Amino acid sequence: MYLGIDIGSSSSKAAILDDKGALIAHAAVNEGTGTKGVERALELVFDEAGVEVDTVKFTVVTGYGRITYEHADKQITEISCHAKGVSYLCESAGSIIDIGGQDAKVIKIGANGIVENFVMNEKCAAGTGRFLEVMARVLGCDLSDLSHLAGQSTKEVPISSVCTVFAESEVISRLASGEKRSDVAKGAHRAIAKRVSGMCGRVGLKDCVFMTGGVALNSNMVKTMGETLGREIKAAPYPQEVGAIGAAVFAKELYEKA
Amino acid sequence: MLKETIMKLEERALNPAKAVASIKAECGKDAVGCFPIYTPEEIVYAAGFVPVGLWGGRTEIKMADKFLQGFCCSIMRANMELGMRGVYDQLKAIIIPGLCDTLKCVIENWKTAVPQVPMIGMVYPQARWNRAAEEYLEAELKRVRSDFEKATHTLITDKNVEEAFAVYEEYRAAMREFTEVACDYPLIIDARTRHLLIKAGYFMDKKLYMEEIKKVIDGLKAMEKEAFHGVKVITTGLIGEPAEILDLFRECEISVAADDIAQESRQFRTPARKEGSVWEKMAGRVIDQRGCAFLAEQKKSRGQMLIDMVKEREAQAVIVCMMKFCDPEEFDYPVYKAQLEKAGIPVLYLELDQQIESFEQIRTRIQSFAEMLI
Repeated sequence: MYLGIDIGSSSSKAAILDDKGALIAHAAVNEGTGTKGVERALELVFDEAGVEVDTVKFTVVTGYGRITYEHADKQITEISCHAKGVSYLCESAGSIIDIGGQDAKVIKIGANGIVENFVMNEKCAAGTGRFLEVMARVLGCDLSDLSHLAGQSTKEVPISSVCTVFAESEVISRLASGEKRSDVAKGAHRAIAKRVSGMCGRVGLKDCVFMTGGVALNSNMVKTMGETLGREIKAAPYPQEVGAIGAAVFAKELYEKA
Repeated sequence: MLKETIMKLEERALNPAKAVASIKAECGKDAVGCFPIYTPEEIVYAAGFVPVGLWGGRTEIKMADKFLQGFCCSIMRANMELGMRGVYDQLKAIIIPGLCDTLKCVIENWKTAVPQVPMIGMVYPQARWNRAAEEYLEAELKRVRSDFEKATHTLITDKNVEEAFAVYEEYRAAMREFTEVACDYPLIIDARTRHLLIKAGYFMDKKLYMEEIKKVIDGLKAMEKEAFHGVKVITTGLIGEPAEILDLFRECEISVAADDIAQESRQFRTPARKEGSVWEKMAGRVIDQRGCAFLAEQKKSRGQMLIDMVKEREAQAVIVCMMKFCDPEEFDYPVYKAQLEKAGIPVLYLELDQQIESFEQIRTRIQSFAEMLI
């Protein structure tokens, strides 16, 4: 068995491949680095796989918390692991838009799931999952309901500010002036899409673009991203766990190479 | 011997305040501050002072906000802060060149913000490609000499300047040799050590520094060249700091094969002309400098220069050390980035700030880049 672990800023994920390289289990827990999230994700994934921990031949850890995790054989960045994971699940994938809890990346995939080029957002919450969390709070809904709310929009309200802190004030004043919550929600999705589309322009997109990361679970975000870029964008299979899956693929490759 | 010399120079670069304080005891000279990017250090040296580089540093910005807003580069904010706190009071004077919009404002604001440290501002020609620019620069250098004499109550003869210029030419040649030799020893002279060894020269009398750096060069040359299986890169930008990013280079098996960093090779890569007076030679070094964001060119040569450096040093990529809010460097970036990409050379853009406390995002960028190339 090969284990991949992805310790993100706001969630922990794990995946197991069997000896032949087939994905047999994956799990995500919405608790990130510095919490018990990784232990819970591992419990879930071993339960699902029905295997014991000592059957694991090689472990690769990735994500924001990878440096401080001590039980892996190797640590690899989430950028490399997302490319590897998406390539494993969808051979034709050319590019990835990965929007996580506190950062966003656009990755071009080369042969064998190796990163060809990438860009990452600067140290700012704009264009990340954190932006949506703040918007959901201001709009008085759960993060999981934000996509549905934006789907009811009939007239998108533009959110001009790219800064999360300023956007929060802007949304409050939009609501105070009588704009509908759904229209403001759609505007918040558009603000992220515009921010990330600038990153896509910097690195360039290949054909067959997939979204990964927790934000890809928001179907309206995937749709808005596609509208903004004027091309089809799909959510990757298991978008939240794809980094852990990529880590598990690396674990198998590294074990066999050793 | 080699190890001790390296450690001695690293210690010097890591503790600038202590290093400057020890100058007087070492050589009996006082220190004079030289702001980035280019200052005529030879004039300072000719007057019997030791020029020290003022390239900012890690400090909490409390007072500088009064003169430099948060959107100014962190080097200038740090220099202003340290000046206002009295850290530079031991310097007999400082020279500030107006090579960017922020520096131009600092020349003015310094008089009010740090009145206790005499300041000499200087202005380089914008259009460098005609005879008038050379004549102007020669006159400006002589004007700086005159103002410096008044500020420090000294007399600087042409002969003094010629002697100082000869010392500096020897220093610049030694540094060119060091960067070339260091390329073959990427493990002993890793990115951090390389940077610190170059930086140490900005806090020492150049004659004393040369003795040390020549020991390093000779020590390296006496050894077998090192095998290296990591990634060799060319760095470009204003400054390769904070040093923690260079620790990440080492962690990710990235070595600096050559640099186009303003604080490093741009200081010494252009040799002087053979003919002319010392003033013509000093002006000529600035006129002849190519590929620097702070000196205008009719046709930007930086992209091709970086491509040539990659080929010559058999590097695999270019890493851009972009100081946040450094306008001249940011304006240059799209031009050379397009040229490098066209040439198939991978480019990593690192946005840096001297006051960075968290390196996790930068670590991910550097590590991913290394994973992509190894």
